[in-house]
Amino acid sequence: MIRSTLRGNSPSVLVAALSSAFGVCLLHSTNALGTMIRGDDVTGSSDTAAFFLSVVALVFIAVAVFVGSIVTVNTFATIIAGRTRTIALMRLIGSSARQQRRQVAKEGLTVGIIGSALGAIIGTALAVTGIAVSTAAGAIPALDYRYFELNLILPIVAVALTTWLASWIGSRRVLDVSPIHATGAAEEMTHEQSRSRRGRNTVAITLFALGMLILLAGTAIGMVSPLGVLVGVVGGFLSFTGVVLGAHLVMPYTLRVVGRAFGRSAPGKLAAENAVRYPERSSRTTIGLVIGVTLVTMFAVAIESFQVFIAEAQKADPLYYTGIDEMMVITITVLSVLTGFSALIAALGLVNTLSLSVMQRTRELGLLRALGFTARQVRQMILVESAQLTVAAVLVGLVLGTVYGWAGAQATFGSIQGSPGIIVPAVPFALLAGVVVAAAVLTWAASVAPSRRATRIAPVEALAVQ
Amino acid sequence: MEITTTPPPVARVVNLTKSYGTGTARVTALDEVTISLERGKFTAIMGPSGSGKSTLMHIMAGLDTATSGESWLGETNITDLGDTELTLLRRRRIGFVFQSFNLVPTLDIEGNILLPFELDGRRPTSAESEWIAHLVSTLNLTDRLRHRPHELSGGQQQRVAIARALGARPDLVFADEPTGNLDSRTGREVLALLAAASSEYGQSIAMVTHDPIAASYADRILFLADGHVVEERPRSTPEDISRFMLGMERTA
Repeated sequence: MIRSTLRGNSPSVLVAALSSAFGVCLLHSTNALGTMIRGDDVTGSSDTAAFFLSVVALVFIAVAVFVGSIVTVNTFATIIAGRTRTIALMRLIGSSARQQRRQVAKEGLTVGIIGSALGAIIGTALAVTGIAVSTAAGAIPALDYRYFELNLILPIVAVALTTWLASWIGSRRVLDVSPIHATGAAEEMTHEQSRSRRGRNTVAITLFALGMLILLAGTAIGMVSPLGVLVGVVGGFLSFTGVVLGAHLVMPYTLRVVGRAFGRSAPGKLAAENAVRYPERSSRTTIGLVIGVTLVTMFAVAIESFQVFIAEAQKADPLYYTGIDEMMVITITVLSVLTGFSALIAALGLVNTLSLSVMQRTRELGLLRALGFTARQVRQMILVESAQLTVAAVLVGLVLGTVYGWAGAQATFGSIQGSPGIIVPAVPFALLAGVVVAAAVLTWAASVAPSRRATRIAPVEALAVQ
Repeated sequence: MEITTTPPPVARVVNLTKSYGTGTARVTALDEVTISLERGKFTAIMGPSGSGKSTLMHIMAGLDTATSGESWLGETNITDLGDTELTLLRRRRIGFVFQSFNLVPTLDIEGNILLPFELDGRRPTSAESEWIAHLVSTLNLTDRLRHRPHELSGGQQQRVAIARALGARPDLVFADEPTGNLDSRTGREVLALLAAASSEYGQSIAMVTHDPIAASYADRILFLADGHVVEERPRSTPEDISRFMLGMERTA
């Protein structure tokens, strides 16, 4: 039972394991930092510092687990779409829709527990190795580091539970499968249908508009007081929640625009259509990546804008600002790595979804091959589809990240010179270069497996699939 | 003195054999089959399930490869062509009408009809455009061009497949049980359209079917059983065809 569950769900196990490994490893690191601070405690404030560190770590873990959950919802929904006929057959024999859905959720729980445990082992191994190496190299003091702190349970349990929840949400469509589907294929929601869900759309748009207003207010307050950032954070959180909820309103259009840029050749045109064929699916696939790219960009832009601003200020008062550069660079590097991890999980989700959706298109690929698509054109089509998903997500992420990053810098540092100042948004070149390279690698990596599978099947075999 | 010349066949196979598996599990789908399809004619290839008729069509259409023997399309020996060459051959010289799932769901009707041209990276010439416009209006698809396949009935979808198959004026159109998924009235319409394409436009068509009524629309009928050609008949009534098929079953 467990083995058969794992075979179909290895992508979800991997996502759960990554999230849990990240969480466990991060907490091990902050725990070790706490031990170090306690080691040379003079002021007695070390407990507060250690607690603060854990809270910051938990925020990053929460982001990673959230992105991981979106990815898992999507993976399950895609798997269910491919299993429609099997589910319909079970319904035909007499199984109820609820039974079928519970079955899927049970798989989700198994996947969550196994993935989470696996991640905990990997994360602990990484932390133990890292600390041992650092101690041996003399980078950190050799203290009695403990690896069984209570807070480690948090990410492990959270990942298992969210994977379970994600499988439950992702299996929603099981309820729509009627026994009659055993004889034919079922369609996912079309763009028009997914746009028509008024309730969710209203909430999304309201949150976004309200959030942006508060963010704007935060930047305005920032001109006179650094407390503006607290207002800005609320606005940023609300508006970004709006973006995530309303992804199905934004992403299909972005995908269409990006798709048009890839030319009007037959493979390009078909790829463009494929990428928006199931708007729900492609929105979920891309929004994870949007979250990751937004966070990385936000920190990078905030710090770059601040540095440009500081460079001006330094000219006027060199002494006052010494040492601030290094500190900011270290902070930003740490933050980028921590948020970059959720981008990695999201990228994995993109690879999963593209693979699964190409697999579900076997018959269509057979038809195209019969009608005269060369193997090369099929590969090209899948590559363009992959590029389209990646580029659309990265573009939206860059725009949002730049807005949030600038707003953050403005709200925090706008008043730093005493008088109201305007910080000019600056996008670091290293970030842009990194993003372009990462996007290219992801585009290629996501298309390798599905391309190979798609060109290996003979047209006759593909057409014979009923 | 009158000289009658038979035009060269549009396609032929010589001693064609196709087998799957090895040793005791070896199954021979086609056993030394030799046939030719006349140019400009509507040929039906009939036979019960497992007779090898689909395998024969797949090899003749460059979708599958033979174990031994030769397969020719016009003057081209396609037996040993590589995947890319076969793909280009299918794109430019062969049309397909399948039983179901004929159309690309993400393209509209016009996109589906023009797909063979798109794949070739070219626009239809003005003569070709005229021909396609003629086909579209004859097949009653004019006000459907902007629709998606799922918005059309089964019969309409088959008409789109026919328009696509005829659009590039291929050497040969293969139809694989083209009426298998249709009700009988719609099925007869589709068959009449195929017969008309052959008689009016001189389109060579090969149709694989096990339905005697469908086969009765063809100029010539080849009967296959257990990988052999067992009989060849000119145009026949459904009753004659049924009788022959039943006889085949009895002797089997």
